[in-house]
Amino acid sequence: MKYSADYTPIEMMIVAGSREIEDGQVLMVGTQWPIITTMFAKKTHAPDITICYEGGVVLDSIPDRIPLFTGDPCIASHSVFLNDSLDTLGMILHAGYPDIVFLPAANVDKYGNVNTTCFGDYSKPKYRLGGSGGACDFGCLGKRVITMLEHEKLRFPESVDFITTPGYLKGSDSREKAGLPSGTGPSAVITTLGIFRFDRDTKEMYLDASYPGVSTEEVKEGFQWNIKVSDNLKVVDPPTQEDIRVLREEIDPFGMYLKGNKAKRISTL
Amino acid sequence: MKSKIMTMNKAIDEFIKDGDVVYLGGFIQHEPYAAVHEIIRQGKKELTVSKSAGMIALDQVIGAGCASRIITTYVWNPLPRPAHALRRSIEKGIPHRIQIEEYSILSLTLSYFAGALDLPFVASKTLLGSDLMECSGFLGENKLRIIESPFNGEKVCLIPPLKHDVGIIQVQRADSTGNAQAWGLIGDSKYGINSCSKVIICAEEIVDTEVIKKDPNRTIIPGFKVSAVVEEPWGAHPSYVSGYYDMDWRFFSFYDKATETLEGFEDYLKEWVYGVEDRSGYMKKIGKKNIGELRPKPWSGNAVDYGYCHKHQEDYLL
Repeated sequence: MKYSADYTPIEMMIVAGSREIEDGQVLMVGTQWPIITTMFAKKTHAPDITICYEGGVVLDSIPDRIPLFTGDPCIASHSVFLNDSLDTLGMILHAGYPDIVFLPAANVDKYGNVNTTCFGDYSKPKYRLGGSGGACDFGCLGKRVITMLEHEKLRFPESVDFITTPGYLKGSDSREKAGLPSGTGPSAVITTLGIFRFDRDTKEMYLDASYPGVSTEEVKEGFQWNIKVSDNLKVVDPPTQEDIRVLREEIDPFGMYLKGNKAKRISTL
Repeated sequence: MKSKIMTMNKAIDEFIKDGDVVYLGGFIQHEPYAAVHEIIRQGKKELTVSKSAGMIALDQVIGAGCASRIITTYVWNPLPRPAHALRRSIEKGIPHRIQIEEYSILSLTLSYFAGALDLPFVASKTLLGSDLMECSGFLGENKLRIIESPFNGEKVCLIPPLKHDVGIIQVQRADSTGNAQAWGLIGDSKYGINSCSKVIICAEEIVDTEVIKKDPNRTIIPGFKVSAVVEEPWGAHPSYVSGYYDMDWRFFSFYDKATETLEGFEDYLKEWVYGVEDRSGYMKKIGKKNIGELRPKPWSGNAVDYGYCHKHQEDYLL
């Protein structure tokens, strides 16, 4: 197995995200990076995963063009189950079936709370974002929530202006106190700079593993607070040459997610 | 049953009144853009428009000044980028500040479900801890409530029923009495359209009732609940209808760029809404070449069989 020497931070993020997935798992998948990450996992080490989308979709195969969002017209003819939102968000997610829930995000804070609603005060926002969609349901009900986003400092405030999607709220046991089901909540935040997890007791996010060639200083610079670093900091393996070939040639040959100019169009900001 | 077929113009004129609570159906696909454009042309006002998830239909009723309130889970444009008319309205009050009530997809779908069944509320574990629970708009305390379950004491979120004066959806096919069949991605549509006092069905095709009866599982609302049936091919463009046409990605890109400024948005309305009489005029502007490119390659299976055996019932009576 040869490691690639030519990969982008986005490709590293996708490969790192896919490594969280074990074959045979049931995944509830949000739009944007989670789509390509789970398609890639299914094409490589996890062919038997089941992929569910909020509108009523259960997929067991990879569409012949990569979906640009979870309502893409190509999805219908690759589904094994296609009904409505109470089926997937209800009888699958609310009922607790997904092993992992994958989310995109505009903003993530210290306790893994996600904001896709607005910057500034809700009643008079400086910048209005689109809103929750199914994201809030994912974050409330997912047993293991993994959030994926491009690492830019403005995306990581110490505390989000609006909690669209609950993470660990104010830390410690505040999530359970709010009434959310026990055993649910954020498991990892995977960005273009590293993999972040949550302290078992305080529920504060920390750097758990960095990417090859990315310094801890560079990671810390990407946060608006002083992010903690694991005492046992790991460095992940880079993508293999085969990973990069599969991603570029088989999963996304037109570069809808992987080429900068096109990928900008699927950015949440 | 009597035919309910009428023109879009008449259906919107007759069944939507200023101030109504209007449900727009469709979850990415099945979005009733032809109907939305007719609502704008007829200058409907003070509508409360509810739509769970979709593309730019809400953005257009906001920007055109038809909606004063919206109930939704998101208004993206259409990939995850904020919609411009929504932003102008909420951030700057241009052309006017709309009021917004926001839910998540599961909770809003449950609210439609409760409305459709006329339930007093439904209870769920979603939304707890979210600021969507803390912040309410025009529904105030009636948006959501938290209580302790009388069964086990755990906190639950109570979601009230949402009912609509009128609902509109674009479907694959319907018969003249309104038995409406939709397939593909359904999202909230079945619950939403069944939570409406009056229903306008826009169909790609009007078919004989015998066609409906060959696959009745596809019917999302029975004809007796329907007020009007409009034959409106391409009524969901630039979104899609499975098996009929694909999404017009280029048009969404165009809309995104064109509506970035207020002037651009108004020009869009002038050209694509006010500047055409109806949907066939709109599709003429889209052009034959583009239309051809949006036609999907077929993906149809074997027809399902609903057959039964007459003889056995007679045996039972002996």
